[in-house]
Amino acid sequence: MSFDPATLAAFVDGELDDLTARRIERDAENDPALAAEIARHRALKTQLVAHYAPVADEPVPERLRALLAPAATVDTSLAGRREVKRARFAAIHWGAIAASLVLGLTLGLRPWVPAASVTEANGAVVAAGPLAEALDKQLASNQQPGAAVRIGLSFQDKDGRYCRGFESKSLNGIGCHDNGRWHLERTMRGQAGTDYRQASSGELAAAAAAMMTGDPLDAAAEQQARDKGWARR
Amino acid sequence: MRFEEELVELLPRLRRFARGLARDASDADDLCQAAIERALKSQGQWQQGTRLDSWMYRITRNLWIDERRATGRRGVHTPIDDAVMQVAGDGAAEVEAGTLRGDVDGAMACLPDEQREVVMLVLVEGYAYREAADILDVPIGTVTSRLARGRDTLMHLLGEAA
Repeated sequence: MSFDPATLAAFVDGELDDLTARRIERDAENDPALAAEIARHRALKTQLVAHYAPVADEPVPERLRALLAPAATVDTSLAGRREVKRARFAAIHWGAIAASLVLGLTLGLRPWVPAASVTEANGAVVAAGPLAEALDKQLASNQQPGAAVRIGLSFQDKDGRYCRGFESKSLNGIGCHDNGRWHLERTMRGQAGTDYRQASSGELAAAAAAMMTGDPLDAAAEQQARDKGWARR
Repeated sequence: MRFEEELVELLPRLRRFARGLARDASDADDLCQAAIERALKSQGQWQQGTRLDSWMYRITRNLWIDERRATGRRGVHTPIDDAVMQVAGDGAAEVEAGTLRGDVDGAMACLPDEQREVVMLVLVEGYAYREAADILDVPIGTVTSRLARGRDTLMHLLGEAA
């Protein structure tokens, strides 16, 4: 990856100058590993924002509000009741801000760029486009020699999810099927040269071995799982 | 707008920040209450035209640090459950990735205070590095390095792709 982690973090935090930020955006379009790294950072931010947002939506406890009330008496006047009403609207207002923030962060990298193979959903990095399609449909036992995505081992992880290793020109990794999407649990740069590919395949196999329960699926089990839509057993 | 009215508008955000620091909901509201009382008392020190939110966040954070130091000195520990205890602090990297998947509270509890406050300010409250550095009264480089460590630990524990 041509950008160091601090620069990537600064990019996601909106702290970079426009020129560098545009360079990263442009590079990410052709570099799924970089795009995945960015998505990973955004996913964390989304998850944290979503986790704490409800606190700001709660009604503020009376004991705090009372400290700042114009008079320290209970106010039953019309003005007082208006104040309460206004406070409720204020809570809704904050909710809307939090929601739009989450939405904004969730809207992928560059939605108008076609067929990205990585995107983000509900705070997770997931497969999209041709990669998602290959993970859904392609069988390891029966793939075209020139296929853009090569499916490796399929197996079940400790949570019973079906997971599949994959390799492509720009991105290798392991996707696990969860709620209708392939969550990318591992990602690494795809083959740049043959040496790299070898190293990366080894790393991928080691990661798969660590995640796996039981044996990898054989051709029959793979086909059966696919035909059932990768629903966990 | 009256000082008090501006503070009232800040309360939802301030409660969120306090929740992230103190973790426990009623501890967080106690912290907010102390911060409001402190703010009302030192109203004269706030300079009109500067940001009230940063000033309030600074007060809240400093009170929290004081409180943490005081309980530390008395040897009183906040109860933390065993699972969290095992992964707390620098040992987090040795724990299997995704151990606390979905458990944001648990993962945040594993961060040292100085990382947790930066994570809250920048990632949750959306402050710029410079603003966070001002609130915490530390150099900007300290903000970025603490943020990087906090981020790494959170991603690891929450189990996003390694």
